[in-house]
Order: sequence, then C-alpha cells, then structure tokens
Amino acid sequence: VTSFAGNLLTVIVPSENRAAIASPKDLANRGMKVVAAGDSVPIAKYASQLVANLARMPGYPADFAARYAANVVSKEDNVAAVVSKIELGEGDAAIVYVTDARASTRVRTIDVPAEANVAATYGGVVVKASAHQSAAVQFLEWLAGTDGQAILATFGFTAPR
Amino acid sequence: MTAQAIPHRGRASLWPVGGLAALAAVLLAAPIVVLVGRAVLGGALADTAAASVVLGALWLSLLTTAVSLVLTVAIGLPLAIVLARRTFRGSALLETVIDLPIVLPPSVAGLALLLLLGRRGLLGEPLSALGIEVPFTTLAVILAQTFVSAPFFIRSARTGIAAVDHDLEDAARVDGASERRVFSAITLPLASAALAAGLVMSWARSLGEFGATIMFAGNIEGRTQTLPLVVYGEFQGGNLDASIAAAAILVLAAFGVLVAVRLLHWGRVLDVRGAG
Repeated sequence: VTSFAGNLLTVIVPSENRAAIASPKDLANRGMKVVAAGDSVPIAKYASQLVANLARMPGYPADFAARYAANVVSKEDNVAAVVSKIELGEGDAAIVYVTDARASTRVRTIDVPAEANVAATYGGVVVKASAHQSAAVQFLEWLAGTDGQAILATFGFTAPR
Repeated sequence: MTAQAIPHRGRASLWPVGGLAALAAVLLAAPIVVLVGRAVLGGALADTAAASVVLGALWLSLLTTAVSLVLTVAIGLPLAIVLARRTFRGSALLETVIDLPIVLPPSVAGLALLLLLGRRGLLGEPLSALGIEVPFTTLAVILAQTFVSAPFFIRSARTGIAAVDHDLEDAARVDGASERRVFSAITLPLASAALAAGLVMSWARSLGEFGATIMFAGNIEGRTQTLPLVVYGEFQGGNLDASIAAAAILVLAAFGVLVAVRLLHWGRVLDVRGAG
C-alpha cells in the first residue's frame, strides 16, 4: 500500500452562520441542527473519534458526545450531501473533511483544535491481476512524489502520515 | 353481451401473444419472488425483521403513509371535484401542473420542497421565524409523501367523478335532493371504484417514497427513516440481510394491501350482482 495523501476534519457552518457557532464546543448546544454522515460512511468513524477527543478537552462538557449525538438531525449517505445541507442552511453545522469544506464557497469553517483532530490517510494499491502493472506503479509513485503532492495540496490534502 | 358474440380466433394466431405475455409476467414477477424467497429461505427475514431499525421503520412507514393518505383525501378530493365539474381558464394547465409530480423524479420533488419549505426557503424562512422548521421532521416525511402521491388520487378521482352520469344527478335534484345529498348519495358511490383505485395507487406510492424523503426529511432512525430508507441505508452499510429483510417486509405489506383491496372490491361486485 502506498500512502499518498492525508486529510483532516473541520467544522463547517452556513456562510451566514445564523446559529452563531464560534467553536466546535457549540455543536453540543441545545437545539443545534447538526448534519452527519451515515454510520457506514467512513467519515462517521473519524467524526465520532474527533467528538470523543473533543469531549476530553478542557472546557468541554463531560457529556459532549451525547449532546452532539442528540443534535444530529440527519445521517446523509455521503459527505457531499452533508455539505449541500449546510450550504442550503438546513443544518447549522457539520463535521466534514478539510477538502470538502474547501471545495465549497458557501460554507464557513470553524477551526478544530489541532490536538483533537483526526487524520484520515488515503492509500493506493496495484491490482495483482492488472495488465498494466508498471504503469500503475509509476502512477502511484508520481502521486506520492513532489508533483502529485503539489496538486493534492491545492485541494487541501495533507501529506500522508 | 354473451361470450358467443365475440368471434373466436384460432389458437395458432395467438401463440406469440401468449408467449410474450408469459415472458413479461416472469420478467416482472421474478425479481420480487427471488427477493422474498431469499429473505424467507435465507433466514434474513427471521433474523433481522425483529431488529429495532427495521421494526421502527415499518411503524414509521405505516404511520406516515396513513397520515399522508388522510391529507391526500382532505386536500385532493375538493380539488378533484372542482377539476371534474368546472372548466375554467387555465384548468387544463392546472391539471398538467398537478400531474407533474407523477412524472418527475422524486429527487426533483425533494429539492423543490427544500427550496420552498427549507429553513431558508420561500415559505420556510417566515415559518422558521415563527419557530416552525419542517425539514428533518416526521412532518417533512408526510409532506414529501403527500406531494408525490396525491396526484395519483386526484387524477383518478377527477376522472371517476367526471364519468358519473349527469342524468342520474339531475334526477336526484328533480326529486328534491340538495347538492350535498346528490354528491354523497349519487356521485360518491358511483365514483367509488375510481376513488378506491386512486387511494390504493396513492398509498402505494407513499409507501415506496424514497428520494424526496431522503432529500427533504433526512434520515434519522425513529423520526424520518422509513422502510425504503432502511433498504438503501443498510445496503450501503454492508448489512445485506437487514436490507433484504426490510425490502421483503415492504413487498409483503404492499402485497397485503393490494390483496385486501381486491377482496373488498370483489365482495362489493358480488353484492351488487346479488342485489340485482
């Protein structure tokens, strides 16, 4: 497996941010409408890890995770649908990848404490049965090399870790 | 007219029709039979039908479709009466617009509902100021179902009411019946078959509603997650058995209702013949 990129999580809110969310802590405020991804979508696992990390941070209530979960109004089947619901202003906030947040011009991001953030790593493999083994290896090398990394960085991907 | 009045065609000339008909029947029935068969024989139904996610969704589906059916009749019947009785400027255009949800993809319906009733929607924004927010609620599920299914009832009811013989209604009027009495004693009973057919179509469409629901109402267990959403969600989540079980329950529920309606209808037909 060649790890070629990483991604971090962030909190997005509609650009008007009518719910006046200033910190991830506010996701647990009573009556917030949080849009999440379905439990089977990979980000759901990262997001619940982030929420667990945040709950242990100073200044966060002990029942942060439970209050966050109680505020979830919908579990979308992919991250793009989550972003759309925030863009439309139907949800007050959502946890998404940094890259998804950056791809949208109609949402604002709320910074997540770096020590609580969760990193996703993307890896590539060469299919054994592939008729184009060497080309595939070359592509992965290019992707993990300087040129590939520069392109990925423009979309907000981090270096793999 | 008796059967002898219809000229018999030779068997030979009909065989391609019979063959194609059999093929069509198999094509339409086979996927459903395989699905239910796998759910029953594979144990998926027995193992996961009792799972809270499936049972909760079944209950929510029955509840929301019942409410949306009541809503459909409440708003659809008056509209059907007006459309059946009056021709006015733009009535043809109105009929066409009302029929639109029948042909539109449900995702379009969901998006349209969001833009109207969403928190930042044309109507949703003032409602939100009053503290009423429709998206992500059970009410949103009901509205999505009503929006996509009411046209089936309205269409059928309109045709049924328009087909009632005006002479019969006039005869009742001559006998001194009030307009209300004419409608309840003459028009409604005579149009009942069309009304019932419309109700069944409308309910079935609500039960299967997926796209508008997931876009407008979201997807939360116990609040907005109806059976079709479970079928999709569990499939996405890799729980094939739960998905199959939910799908089979959906099939059986729909089948049950269609059979019940047929039996009722059959019973009424027999009654009429007995009385005649």
